[in-house]
Amino acid sequence: MIVFDRVGKRFDNHDAIRDISLTIDSGEMVFLTGHSGAGKSTFLRLLMLLERPTSGCLMVNHRDTSRVKRRAIGTYRRDFGIVFQDHQLLFDRTVFDNVALPLHIAGFEMRDVNRRVRAALDKVGLLQRERANPAVLSGGEQQRVGIARAVVARPKILIADEPTGNLDPQLSAEIMSLFEAFNQVGVMVVIASHDLALISRLRHRIITLNNGRLVGGGGHL
Amino acid sequence: MGDWSVAVGIYEGRNVPAGPGMNNARRVGVGPRHPIVRWVYHHRQAAADSLHKLVFEPISTLLTWMVLGIALALPATLLVLLSNVLALADTIDVPARFSLFLNELTTLEQASDIARRMEQRVDIAQVSVLDRVTALADFGVQTGLESLIESLDANPLPHTLLVEPAAHINASRMDELADALTNTPGVANVIFDTQWLARFETSLLLLQRLVIGLGLMMVIGAILILGNTLRLAIEARRAEIVVIKLIGGGDAFVRRPFLYMGLWCGVGGGALAIGLVIIFLSLLASPAATLLALYNSDWQLQGLSFIAALQLALVGGSLGLLSAWQATTIHLRRVEPK
Repeated sequence: MIVFDRVGKRFDNHDAIRDISLTIDSGEMVFLTGHSGAGKSTFLRLLMLLERPTSGCLMVNHRDTSRVKRRAIGTYRRDFGIVFQDHQLLFDRTVFDNVALPLHIAGFEMRDVNRRVRAALDKVGLLQRERANPAVLSGGEQQRVGIARAVVARPKILIADEPTGNLDPQLSAEIMSLFEAFNQVGVMVVIASHDLALISRLRHRIITLNNGRLVGGGGHL
Repeated sequence: MGDWSVAVGIYEGRNVPAGPGMNNARRVGVGPRHPIVRWVYHHRQAAADSLHKLVFEPISTLLTWMVLGIALALPATLLVLLSNVLALADTIDVPARFSLFLNELTTLEQASDIARRMEQRVDIAQVSVLDRVTALADFGVQTGLESLIESLDANPLPHTLLVEPAAHINASRMDELADALTNTPGVANVIFDTQWLARFETSLLLLQRLVIGLGLMMVIGAILILGNTLRLAIEARRAEIVVIKLIGGGDAFVRRPFLYMGLWCGVGGGALAIGLVIIFLSLLASPAATLLALYNSDWQLQGLSFIAALQLALVGGSLGLLSAWQATTIHLRRVEPK
């Protein structure tokens, strides 16, 4: 469960996030939308502890994130699976090794790593490309490798930042149904997207930010 | 492409309780290993990976090893030579020596007589007579003033006795001996010559400091060079570090491969230094033996001992680890996800 309690984030001379209070339940799927500069990225960065709130309190899984010390940030982030708009794949290794990376960090056994990576790649339809270098894949395929990497360690929370940003409508719809499938097995999914046409068809809560403020989809607290 | 709509298989089996008789930790699919097992695994992984990376870039690895090897070999060679000099200095019997100038009227026969009587004493090892004619000639040769000496009417030098005390006597007995020698009839003046000993010991100290100072400078240089190599390695892997940090790799996880890289570079440099020192010393051994033979010594140059070689490799490894530590402390913090 994620609880924003009057969270604000101020950079040098402007407020990226102002006084946001909302709750996202475990097992929920929400979209985060707004114009560029509305605070979507900062919202996600606060969740990942890439930034710290300058005011208010952010609780993740009943834990006050301000108590998470620098050394414990790695462990904290392992509760999340993250899908990046620019994929953040490593081109010096194969698709398989990219997907296996979170499992190596978490210290899974080799047998387990093989099994899970294959299952994740199978699920995104890229099992045949496991020995390929991600650089030779198309944008949509790279995004699916990113998704496989995000879910391979079975995180409780899946976060995606503009996962369909560079994809055509049909591919975007496929990616979204993949996220819905993960949500159906109990994973919390938070997706930042400005593709309103796509996300409004999907009947999930839509959190709208404008100029750092919450203007829609606040939910209970 | 797979069927997107079905429940996602990789989440199946989650939260399934362990069956009877199943060891939870060993079960496939249960999850991460025990933290200690994981820690050991991560270390093995980082050690193997960084060694692998070094082996696959043989040229730059060899260059790094050479730089470290030379930086370590020079002070190590000097230290081996220094320990040789110190050991050699120990073997030289350093008798404190008294010079006894006799009265001008004492004849050479009387001088020999006094010398024989003195040699009876238990606290004297040896007495030799330096006659005035020889002494003057030697003085002339040593100073190049032969013509001046030839022009002298008379020899101004007295006969001299050189007295070597017994090796076992202590400082207070030495004082007693000095008194006894001064009061011997026929002795005009006693000079207790310790100055050359002081000079010798100070020279050794100077040499020792010089070697240590040079060694420290080389070692600091080596640390900085390796630190810079590691900084470049960190820069080259910036993207990877950012991704690892984003998906849950902690500072220690990111740092480990670089620490091992420093360790391997250091150990490799140390091993190369052992080879260089052995080659260097074997080149020096023969002329050194010849030189010492000219001084009537059968001393053989002592090479690098097995223990010292191990220490050199160990020092290399520690230096590598140390510079990796400082490089990662300074540079890894700057590589943060944006």
